Amino acid sequence: MEWLFLVVSFVAVVAAGMMLTRQNAVHSALFLIVNFGCVAFLYLMLDAPFLAMVQVTVYTGAIMVLFLFVIMLLGAETTTDTSGRMRWLGFAGTAVAIVLLVIFAFPLASNMLTDEPTPQPDARARIRAINAIPGGDAQAFTVMDMGRAMTLEHTVPGIVLLEPVSESIDGLRLEGVVYEFSREAPQDYIDVAAGDYAIIAGVDYGEFDSAPIYAAPHSLAPDSAHSVVFFENADGFVDVTVLEDDISAPAVGKMRLTLINAVTDKQVALVDVGQYTARGTLCDDSACDSLIPHRVLIELLPAGARISLELEAGTYNLAFVDEEQNVLRTLANYDAERGLIETRVFVREPGMPGSQPSYRAAVFNAIGAPAFGSPESVGQVLFIEYVLPVMLVGMLLLVALIGVIVLARPDALAQAERRRINRRRRVNRPLASVISQQTGSDVLSGDYRAKLTGGDDPARE
Amino acid sequence: MNPIGAEPYIVLSMVLFLMGALGVLMRRNAILLFMSVELMLNSANLAFVAFAREWGQVNGHIFVFFVMTVAAAEVAVGLALIVNIFRERQSINIDDLQQMQG
Repeated sequence: MEWLFLVVSFVAVVAAGMMLTRQNAVHSALFLIVNFGCVAFLYLMLDAPFLAMVQVTVYTGAIMVLFLFVIMLLGAETTTDTSGRMRWLGFAGTAVAIVLLVIFAFPLASNMLTDEPTPQPDARARIRAINAIPGGDAQAFTVMDMGRAMTLEHTVPGIVLLEPVSESIDGLRLEGVVYEFSREAPQDYIDVAAGDYAIIAGVDYGEFDSAPIYAAPHSLAPDSAHSVVFFENADGFVDVTVLEDDISAPAVGKMRLTLINAVTDKQVALVDVGQYTARGTLCDDSACDSLIPHRVLIELLPAGARISLELEAGTYNLAFVDEEQNVLRTLANYDAERGLIETRVFVREPGMPGSQPSYRAAVFNAIGAPAFGSPESVGQVLFIEYVLPVMLVGMLLLVALIGVIVLARPDALAQAERRRINRRRRVNRPLASVISQQTGSDVLSGDYRAKLTGGDDPARE
Repeated sequence: MNPIGAEPYIVLSMVLFLMGALGVLMRRNAILLFMSVELMLNSANLAFVAFAREWGQVNGHIFVFFVMTVAAAEVAVGLALIVNIFRERQSINIDDLQQMQG
């Protein structure tokens, strides 16, 4: 990486130097294009792919083409060199530039060479909460970073469930709320520093909170994504599990479906029943000697487990079945869009005690925080935080456009100049000449300037 | 991912900026003057992006965006002016534009 930077920056500096020293303006422009290309490459190295592309299109494309166009339009490749009498300015400028460079760059360069490597920005990981507790409106959880003494808390708005915890677990101090999930968007990933976390959940029972539920400490690797799934275990208590998500793009023409089984007393399989309609069971007859034709997409999945599969794009009739071939839930005309990454959490619907349990495959499609420097992140900041500046810059471009149109009209300046001169002449004329102009008869004779200076009244003659 | 810190980029940005400033001082061709200004704007952009990466803030990229917009507007107007000046006096040597001094 260092050698790449050195090569590209060397080319950039050389191109800039050539641009400065060429006598032919066209050559200068071409070298400047090389320089801009190098800068675009450096943008790529600086995790700014969007800006790199804008640099190529706007700078090396539009602006430099404009330059070349004007140079060739004017035929001004070479100009008479009159810098001879200002030669000292060049030398003085060079000297000042070198001195400035040494003054400014020396501390940086010395820091670069001697000090320890500069701290890199923290590696990031993504984590989200999936609340799969039946009727679970009042759950909260706190995710704590064990290594960094931070707390990550999820609260339902209006109900404070877990106070920021300040206690010691295994000798590590945990304190302070750092991240909050909002109830409105519980499926969104949040961006956290990579590291080891402890995950703590609590259930709100109205007046008092339950004792916190601890999940095993989990290591969030850089650039990974995890889901914290809260579900009710067989004993009716809230349990929590941390699953790593696969957020890489699915294969071309496919979608990735991830199934999490959050029903503790059921194993669930996902089958594609094709054209058939599964009514309550996959059995073809009451004795269940044969099954209707189906294709098993996911084998029986134990509680708390998670599995991913890639589906060809298309429309499916899917059914969730248990080990006795009972259909727990159907997904008719399921549309598998290509490129989609979908997480389905199989949960039990809250119901009256003793009633037949019903099930649901809740969708948690997460659009994670866009990567740094990507068009999404730039666009989000640009059009959310910087709307007014964007408008102003748009106005600026409009004004510049109009200005260029006015300037480019060949006789625009000449007409304006003539009008200005005419106006001045009228104003400078004495009153008498204005009267004579309006009446049509000459009220002046002789040199009115001399008469004016002589103090005679020209109108009397 | 990227083992290089921001310092080399800042130093490179300084070098390019000073080269642009030198170009403004030394060259007499108005178009080359403009190109040197573009070089300076670009070096400032490079510093913006380097600092944006260093601090993990996208705001630096936004400012680069605005600088590019302003540069585009400036180039369009400036080149139109240069074309008009060239029509007037058949030269774009800035030493021939002495009467522009107050």
